[in-house]
Amino acid sequence: MSITTTEHDAHGHDDEHGHGPAVPGAENPGGEHETAFKRDQKERLMMWLFISGDALFLILELFAWFYLRALNVNGLWNGAQCSKANPCTDGLGNPIIAQIPKANPMHSLAIAGLAILCAAFVWLAESAAKRQAGKRAVAGAAGVALLFLLGAIAWQIYQFQVLPFTTIDGAYASTFEFFIGSTLAHLVLLLFIVLGLWVRASKGRYEGGTWYRVRLIRFFAVWIAVSTLILALVSTLFY
Amino acid sequence: MTTAVAAPPLLEDTDLGPKAGGFYRRQNIWSGLGFGIFLGFVAWLVSHATVQGSNWGSDMVVTCTMVGWVIGFNIGIGTFNAPIRWMLGDDQTHEDELYAAGVGQGRSRYFKYCTDHKVVGTQYLVFTMALFGIGGTLAMMIRTQLITPHSTFLDPQTYNAIVTVHGMIMIIATIIMVSGPFANFVMPIMIGAKDMAFPRLNAMSFWVIFSAAPCLLATFFLGGVNAGWTTYAPLSVQAPPAMDAFAMCIITFVVSVTVAGINTIVTVVTMRAKGMTMGRLPIFTWGAVVGGALGLYAMPAFLAVMTMMITDRATGTSFFVPQVGGSQWLYENIFWIMGHPEVYVILIPPVAAVLEIASTFSRKPVFGYKVAVAGFVAIAALSIMVWAHHMFTTGWAPNLAAPFMLTTELISIPTGIIFLCTIGTMWKGSIWTRLPMYFVYLFLWNFIIGGVTGIYLSDVPADQYFHGDMFVTAHFHYTLLGGAMIGATAAVCYWFPKMTGKMLNERIGKVAFWTIALGIQVTYFGQFWEGFQGMARRVAQYNPKFEAANQMSTIGAYILMTGWLIFLYMMLHAWRHGKIAPANPWHSKTLEWKVPTPVPLENFLVDPVVTSDPYTYGEGVPDGQEVPEFAPVEQPELVPAGAVPTEEPGDPGGAG
Repeated sequence: MSITTTEHDAHGHDDEHGHGPAVPGAENPGGEHETAFKRDQKERLMMWLFISGDALFLILELFAWFYLRALNVNGLWNGAQCSKANPCTDGLGNPIIAQIPKANPMHSLAIAGLAILCAAFVWLAESAAKRQAGKRAVAGAAGVALLFLLGAIAWQIYQFQVLPFTTIDGAYASTFEFFIGSTLAHLVLLLFIVLGLWVRASKGRYEGGTWYRVRLIRFFAVWIAVSTLILALVSTLFY
Repeated sequence: MTTAVAAPPLLEDTDLGPKAGGFYRRQNIWSGLGFGIFLGFVAWLVSHATVQGSNWGSDMVVTCTMVGWVIGFNIGIGTFNAPIRWMLGDDQTHEDELYAAGVGQGRSRYFKYCTDHKVVGTQYLVFTMALFGIGGTLAMMIRTQLITPHSTFLDPQTYNAIVTVHGMIMIIATIIMVSGPFANFVMPIMIGAKDMAFPRLNAMSFWVIFSAAPCLLATFFLGGVNAGWTTYAPLSVQAPPAMDAFAMCIITFVVSVTVAGINTIVTVVTMRAKGMTMGRLPIFTWGAVVGGALGLYAMPAFLAVMTMMITDRATGTSFFVPQVGGSQWLYENIFWIMGHPEVYVILIPPVAAVLEIASTFSRKPVFGYKVAVAGFVAIAALSIMVWAHHMFTTGWAPNLAAPFMLTTELISIPTGIIFLCTIGTMWKGSIWTRLPMYFVYLFLWNFIIGGVTGIYLSDVPADQYFHGDMFVTAHFHYTLLGGAMIGATAAVCYWFPKMTGKMLNERIGKVAFWTIALGIQVTYFGQFWEGFQGMARRVAQYNPKFEAANQMSTIGAYILMTGWLIFLYMMLHAWRHGKIAPANPWHSKTLEWKVPTPVPLENFLVDPVVTSDPYTYGEGVPDGQEVPEFAPVEQPELVPAGAVPTEEPGDPGGAG
């Protein structure tokens, strides 16, 4: 392999892709030896790969839902065939003699709505950072996104408490609770990120051309909103 | 001609001051272990106190304890330092980053959260060897039990628990045995990068997988998992609480492999040196990328199925229990959606390493480079369409047996092509048979046996007979041990001088090689024999008519173990007392051999610009002239990378 040499590119430079120079005191002042464009490129790819892996997880959740629903083993998808004369059995061996009630779809859809609002405000934060609207504008949008996200998490926990069934009541109940558990885990992960966004924006970390790092958070927030909506729709429409 | 340019000062010599690193200064493997045990203990107490109806060993309590251990260990070692500082808006300074990269810490950096990819690669190498040591010890216990039909060396429950942990520990070790040490240490240098794309995630991937191992070993103290490494439901749903620890190990492992796979792909796509086009990538890099991408596809399924398993056990959901509306077919489908691609996550990187080595020691370019790359991609694509061949005998979707048989047999085509590429690379080459090449030959021998017997198993009628018997065991050991692990051993022999700065002792290595080669054949031909006779897998005691075959296999296993111990001795002896390695002992063309040994932090003191492909062996030799015999040369002058001349003295093929 033939090689020649070139000067060491030790600092970030402004480029034609809308990325500013690395700003001391702003996002990551660590003096990493790469341009802002390069950082953006690799972080974006990382995020897309992560989202694609997470999407596969979502597909497998949906697979479990539709597969168990189609098999309806022993009539215990939702117990529609269970009756006093022909009782089914729950996870503790107790008889199930009637159909398991459907979860109130209003909760799942409302949580998805809050996740969408959160993503929308992260998007606003991104656009504020992009047009250099000042740290108050970015932090303000991030703060509102954080509030919506906290609302979604609180509502998700509440939904756990008011479900008309428990995990042992057949396959529908199991997969439904798995869906909301998965949603909760994702929302909590997003919470740490949006909290970081808000704190950092308040400290002016996104001034000086590092808006693309807010875009990275927006990718994730939008993905969480979309996946939450998909799970809410599937669990609502395919009882 | 050698041109030395004035090298900039080494980063290693930076004076960081007493405060650089922050928390990292107080964190190491001991703080990780301490905090992990502490948080695990707290989780154990709290979960027992709060979970209704639990006892000290109930599923929920064991699960929470394991979660506490994993999170605690990673807090203690420093995995979360940077994310928490990011969240607080208090970024790490340049000095902190340098400290995290190991500057000024000597050997202690190998026991810390270190972001230097070479340290992470070395950590992976040692960790993988430790896993193989544990898994191999368990294998010897299994073979010792099976030397007589009614042995009482192990009781059946313990035997099954050992079989399970042996299987899973070897699966974990083989998945990381190449992508861990070599894709971390070597691959970034190969492509001209200063480090992996995300050094902190790189360190995280190692320490997360490190924290998974104790969960797996804890299964022995929690009743043992007696369901085999596949942990099929409903057996695994009914297994002792050890199954919860087992599942937590897998979930933790998935996090590590996913992070590592993403890091590998991003590194190759975005961190290549100028001029290092995708068509100029060393073939090993392609193997690492395809393996990483396939892992990214497979691991979510492992995560999903183990999470459902834990919820079935700990919260009473009914994914896999038919009595309450679940289906074991759901388990098997999701498991094998992961399980078969995972075989190629194991295989592709070592096969790519074998191609790399064959090219170097044959002094020829990789034969059919583009075809080999296409072969890797085709294997990866086909491997996601074959999962149900593991379910031919389960009764699931009999109408799909023929299509799955077809896709499985199709996969032998790209596999065969890659095999031919390896042969073609060596064909009419000026082969320099050093220790790495010995293992390449052994790889080819074993892999052809493993591959051909795999075609039998893809055939539905043959599978009906062989399924669940020792023929299958022999087949996948020929493939994974004889193929992948021997390929990885070749890689160890090849890159050891660059990683440690020491040369392996070839005389001891050849003794190890012949012992290992003999041991593999005796052990697994014995198992083929058992399989043809119809002996089932995973049985602690058997009909006396299988005794001769089992004795053959057990004797082979002891020979094999002896070979590995000799190999281990050779490595440890060389690491400590070996001859100093030249910077490029094999006169290879790839970039990792153009940097000094030991490789400096950030690898390249001046950025390399690549102007040709990595396999220009033989160029410049006039037609009709033989390439002269190749021999090690004295250690070249250590000059900054990139300043190495385009023509090296004594290079028989003429440098490209």
